[in-house]
Amino acid sequence: MSTVGRQDAQVPAAGGDVYERVHADPRYVELRKRHRNFVFPLAGLFLGWYFLFVLMADYAHDFMSTKVVGNINIALIFGLLQFVSTFAITMWYVRFADRKLDPLADELRNEVEGGAA
Amino acid sequence: MSPTLSVLAVSVVCLATLAIGAYGLRLSRTTSDFYVASRLVTPGWNASAIGGEYLSAASFLGIAGLVLVAGVDMLWFPVGYTAGYLLLLVLVAAPLRRSGAYTLPDFAEARLESPTARRVAAVLVVTIGWLYLLPQFIGAGLTLQIATGAPRWVGAALVGAVVLASVLAGGMRSITLVQAFQYWIKLTAIAVPVVFLVAAWRSDGSPLPDDASWVTPLHAFEHPLYSTYSLILALFFGTMGLPHVLVRFYTNPDGAAARRTTLIVLALLGVFYLFPTVYGVLGKVYASDLVESGRADAVVLELPERLVGGTGGQLLAALLVAGAFAAFLSTSSGLAVSVAGVLSQDLVRSEVHRTVGGRIPGVRAFRGASVLAVLVPFGLSLLGLQLAVADVVGLAFAVAASSFCPLLVLGIWWRRLTPVGAVAGLVAGGGLAGIAVVITLVAGRGDGWSGALLAQPAAWTVPIAFVVMVVVSLRTPHRVPRSIARTMVALHAPESLGLDPPGRSH
Repeated sequence: MSTVGRQDAQVPAAGGDVYERVHADPRYVELRKRHRNFVFPLAGLFLGWYFLFVLMADYAHDFMSTKVVGNINIALIFGLLQFVSTFAITMWYVRFADRKLDPLADELRNEVEGGAA
Repeated sequence: MSPTLSVLAVSVVCLATLAIGAYGLRLSRTTSDFYVASRLVTPGWNASAIGGEYLSAASFLGIAGLVLVAGVDMLWFPVGYTAGYLLLLVLVAAPLRRSGAYTLPDFAEARLESPTARRVAAVLVVTIGWLYLLPQFIGAGLTLQIATGAPRWVGAALVGAVVLASVLAGGMRSITLVQAFQYWIKLTAIAVPVVFLVAAWRSDGSPLPDDASWVTPLHAFEHPLYSTYSLILALFFGTMGLPHVLVRFYTNPDGAAARRTTLIVLALLGVFYLFPTVYGVLGKVYASDLVESGRADAVVLELPERLVGGTGGQLLAALLVAGAFAAFLSTSSGLAVSVAGVLSQDLVRSEVHRTVGGRIPGVRAFRGASVLAVLVPFGLSLLGLQLAVADVVGLAFAVAASSFCPLLVLGIWWRRLTPVGAVAGLVAGGGLAGIAVVITLVAGRGDGWSGALLAQPAAWTVPIAFVVMVVVSLRTPHRVPRSIARTMVALHAPESLGLDPPGRSH
């Protein structure tokens, strides 16, 4: 399948292959490193947080079944708060990507495209 | 329940779906319109469309049913459905967009430079898609039966026909509009009755479920800690492998918009999922007889008549029937487009394509494949499987998590993945999870450890898939694709660098 919107954006191969130039650029290396070093710990932390919650439900049984209103207990409230934590972690990632990934990516892109034109 | 009102409600939803689809048809002119709506959809619309597509029968009917049957443990379903988007966003969304691959088989071939990997991925997409379509048809049959007394096949056939008509007509562009519209129908349909139900419940003295184990976590399953962990793994890691979810990230104009879209999606899903929980809890008080009669999935539809009653109750019930049909239609349309795309591109006409040399399947082949994509799960739904719809969807997630999750994560982040390793892992993980699914579907949930391991396979099949992929890849280092360096740059370098996406330069 052809790639929409990219056919007309070919960069002329001036001064070596564009892949090689990007690959060798320290900003590309840094970009990959930043991305990787952020998302894998984040994913691990996120999964760990949920697993811990389940474990608490098992072992901290008395605490989790403390009733707040009627039969609505702490476990139920914590469970619904998981939505909030998912949203908060996503916000965190979006801010990170906006501030730390996109500016570097733009810089790299301008450099490569500018050098090629 | 009033059959007249229900028929009216279902007709309005079906006709509106077809009308918006027809409107979208006039907008979609090119193949890229057909598949990815030309990446011209704004984050707000796109998020509504993702929400509309994602909230299936399992969400609209199934979760309340499971909460009614098994209590608070079932809240992991909505939490996991939502959280899967986060892992999809941070681990695979951006590189996958850059790869230029529209579908999972596209990605498999581009990254691994192997037609075999592409073929295996295609078979898995179709399997997962059909497994996910099946509960939509079961839910539609059940809903129409409760609402009007019609036999089960009628509801399923109706959904199949409307889905086919809108998919045949419009492709992805019109589907985006249809689905965005359906998110709001679903939210309205499930939220408005809650206001009346809660009012009726308060005037009834606010009774609460008196079953202590029902509100205690880790009581629903026989091996609760294992089953809960396994379910969480399946839902978290399965979302990224669902064929109809992935393609949605292409309809954003750029990466930043894709991130905005995901945030809005999480908010939309979070708001929606509060409501099935309320239905489940109220159902425990007022409709626990549905558990014994094996119709727990009907609790959302039955509550208005039991609690509110009269014409008001009938109107609310009709509104819920409309919402449920919106859920069946939107999810099924998205899945049918994805399954049909893969069928027409890879499994039915791939040989023809190879000789002609083109990759773009003709719109006609796509339409033929759409018929097949809808007919197979429709036929399966007539077999009379007695299953909770959310459970079947959970099994689809388990297969996706055990196959595409390792393929995507390792394919994007580990350059030493080889085609041999990837295919071995897909076959091992997807195959084992698939066998577990078939046993559970045919024989029902078993007892003891074997029952738990088969009903929630993800906790062992996901690690197996990862280990097989890594070990086999390490043992076949000479099979690392030749242009891996280029592919990795294309996956991880900034977008619109003008790089030719991998695997497409020839």
